[in-house]
Amino acid sequence: MAERNTHDPKEMTRRRFVASMAATGCVAATSSGVLLADGRFVIPNSEGFLVVDTKKCQGCGSCMMACSLAHSGSASYSESRIQIMQDSFGDWPNDLFIAQCRQCQNAPCVGVCPTGANHVDEANGNVRRVDPELCIGCRMCIQACPFTPARLQWDRDRRKSQKCDLCVDTPFLDEKGGPDGIQACVRVCPVKAIAFTREMPSQTLTDSSYQVNLRDWVWKRLGMTAE
Amino acid sequence: MTLYGYAGKILRLDLSAQRAIEIDTADYRSWGGGHGLGSALFWDFCKDKTITDGTDPANVIVVTSSPLNGTLAPSAGRCEVVGVGLNTHPVHWYTRSNIGGRFGTMIRHAGYDAIVIEGKAPNPVWVDIRNRKVVFHDASDLWGTDSRTAQETIWRRMGVPRDVKTGWWNLNETAEEALDPATDQGRTTQRPAIMTIGPAGENRTCGGCLVHDAGNVAAVAGFGGVWGSKNLKAISVIGTGEIPVADATSLLRARSIIKEKYTSDIEQPDFEAWSKIGKQPKLMAMVSPPTDEYRPQACQGCVSGCRARYSVGYGHETKCQVTSWYFAPSRRVARSAKELVEINLRAADAAQRYGLNTYFALTGLHWLEHLVEEGVLGPGKAIHSDLPWEKYGTLEFAEQLVHALSCREDIGADLANGWVQAAYKWGREDDLRTGHMAFSYWGQPEHGYDPRAEVEWGYGSILGDRDICEHCFNIIFTNITASFAFAKPMRIGAEELVSIISEKLSPYAKNRPESLDYSDENMYSEDVAQLVRWHRHYTRFYKESALYCDLRWPDFYNTNTPDRRGATASEDAGEHVFWNAVTGDELSFEDGIELGRRIWNLDNAIWTMQGRHRDMVKFAPFIYETKYEKGELFPFFMWPCRDENGKWVYRDVMGRTMDRQKFEEFKSTFYRLEGWDVDSGWPTRTTLEGLDLAEVAATLDAAGRLGKESAS
Repeated sequence: MAERNTHDPKEMTRRRFVASMAATGCVAATSSGVLLADGRFVIPNSEGFLVVDTKKCQGCGSCMMACSLAHSGSASYSESRIQIMQDSFGDWPNDLFIAQCRQCQNAPCVGVCPTGANHVDEANGNVRRVDPELCIGCRMCIQACPFTPARLQWDRDRRKSQKCDLCVDTPFLDEKGGPDGIQACVRVCPVKAIAFTREMPSQTLTDSSYQVNLRDWVWKRLGMTAE
Repeated sequence: MTLYGYAGKILRLDLSAQRAIEIDTADYRSWGGGHGLGSALFWDFCKDKTITDGTDPANVIVVTSSPLNGTLAPSAGRCEVVGVGLNTHPVHWYTRSNIGGRFGTMIRHAGYDAIVIEGKAPNPVWVDIRNRKVVFHDASDLWGTDSRTAQETIWRRMGVPRDVKTGWWNLNETAEEALDPATDQGRTTQRPAIMTIGPAGENRTCGGCLVHDAGNVAAVAGFGGVWGSKNLKAISVIGTGEIPVADATSLLRARSIIKEKYTSDIEQPDFEAWSKIGKQPKLMAMVSPPTDEYRPQACQGCVSGCRARYSVGYGHETKCQVTSWYFAPSRRVARSAKELVEINLRAADAAQRYGLNTYFALTGLHWLEHLVEEGVLGPGKAIHSDLPWEKYGTLEFAEQLVHALSCREDIGADLANGWVQAAYKWGREDDLRTGHMAFSYWGQPEHGYDPRAEVEWGYGSILGDRDICEHCFNIIFTNITASFAFAKPMRIGAEELVSIISEKLSPYAKNRPESLDYSDENMYSEDVAQLVRWHRHYTRFYKESALYCDLRWPDFYNTNTPDRRGATASEDAGEHVFWNAVTGDELSFEDGIELGRRIWNLDNAIWTMQGRHRDMVKFAPFIYETKYEKGELFPFFMWPCRDENGKWVYRDVMGRTMDRQKFEEFKSTFYRLEGWDVDSGWPTRTTLEGLDLAEVAATLDAAGRLGKESAS
């Protein structure tokens, strides 16, 4: 049974709305969570997370290509759910940054969604994901993401938000995706700088807990530090 | 109708009128992309194809991408540049160069498959391309800046966040633009990909490179000097567009096969694997890394990064020969291994910032040393030079030399027009006979793989337009020679090796292992001519049009697989498999070779229009008149050969000369096999029409340069 999380209802618009119902004595259940009688909104923890080693990444962008190809069948950096940013003139390790969705425990992007498009998919390991049929393109989820850069993307052509679903909905992948399957970015990365874990990283407002050391004796043998 | 794999538009930049014109890629679809697309565009838009001076305003430069760029096709992230160059002798041939990094991918996200650069701007300009919006900017204040400063300045002017962690930036100019679906440019976390020139290009030197990011350069052709002559400082591309792919599922599957089948597991790798595509990331620098604090750095979509970004602040993204252009002299003065590394990487940085090709140094520095030792070069000497030759080997000298060569100062005033051209001006043409100036073909230096030993490299270069820099078969030398030199395991014996490779040399040399016999007896044979044909056609399509990386393809043999067959031409992850998945074509591997033959023939038509004749197709005299006795790295040069009993062995091919007459006969064989006029080397109507190039034949005919049909 996945753990559940509670958080301050004042943070999010949709939750405030539901909380106002609770104030009248109601206890509400939504597709994304449960509102307790004390006003706290509870969503189940994701059963999977992506962690990365920014010191190991070779900056080839293969993960970004694989992501957009697996989800939409076309190649696009802007629509990749994982973003690799690099400065050719920067010095290691600050020359490159990987921004992946954290599948947050409190998931502000889920809570703020006014239509329930951004939801917890309990049938697929509680992954936080956007249902494009319900998304109205208000971009509130993008604004609610507390991280820089925001871990949700704006699909310019379809006028909708999108986010990492750990490859639950990947019509162009001929393998099962999601927490119980594969993730395209993990599968394609030539140096294994991205990993999937079921253990939830510490929930802080920095990326440090999602940045891990994936370098080993092979990396050292190839001439690069494993520390 | 969706044009899978393409952005769909080609951008023509008329620099003279500072006007942008779009044309449809569909009209050029039959050329594939990259070099083929570039040659077709050059043919159509260069109105005077007889020009032999790259700085002629009529010259047209085409920067082209491939349908595979940015699509996950493994190690297919290159970008091709074609046009009349500045770096060949006796004339500036129509030629090519190739650059890695992000540019080829980002052109397509910006909405274009190629950029055609025409005319000459009245004043220095740089061009901002964002999602098919094209703006010409005054570059007067950028003129004189180095390649890094130019790129960073342009990023700032475009509002790109300085910190990589800053995140999304908006390509829209106004909030209203963002809200309207018809005008929304979207947002990106990526930096614009900029191709620029430094002082070496601005001063129109033959060493002028096109530089992108820290260490990607299109160098050998001298296109930087051509951009300088056109007053073009830089082109920036950025976009948020998507590239439609015909069969993403097959593409993803084939990419997984490359990783799972052809590459050894990175958690338990075979560090000594014999393969091109199946290697782990490995720094391709010719000096040791200055620290272990670095990452491998890769071109977009590459499976195995070969460059690095370090913690020490220098040497970023520089690899291969650029990291060792100054190695020989610096070794004499460096007081420690650490200092030796730092001198070389900082000398590399100097060249990258000036945008100067360092390929000249492979043998050019030896020649300058010879002139100094002979007493003809130096202060007050016959060839006057105020460079501090007493400091030769120091970083200070390297930086002064780079400055002189880039800014036409000191000996750079003459060398900027070409090294062989300078030799003639200085009365040193005899150095091309003795070999003191080892510039083997078309005024370009020997590459370390001398034509007398590595014949396919030499033949390909002299029958084409430049030092080919195509390491398709060179991997044989690398693997075998390293085994002999460093007592590494000899993974595959000679007989098995030539058998595996020849299986993939379809159609001309399929299952003809004798085409890989590099012995003295076989080096002028029809078998070798067929090998050279295959190589010319393979590279023209797969390597220079599909833009697979030279270092990762072809993958002939591969010790990571049970049967030691590599990915090349395979039906699960061969070059054509990725091409088909992206474009929706149903190309066989051989179809790709045939398309390469078509491109190669168009190139020969252009050279013919420029005035080429077989009488010009000759190596420098030293190739015929001296023995190859000193390799760049080793005192031996191992290749597969058949011995006296017909048994396959690895044998040293050092110590031989090229026979002038036999090479002439080899040329005749090659021309005959290609369907060209044996007397002139010009394409014939029959051959061109057979390749659906009747209009090209008509143009040659009108110019009086159509080859005679053979009697048979």
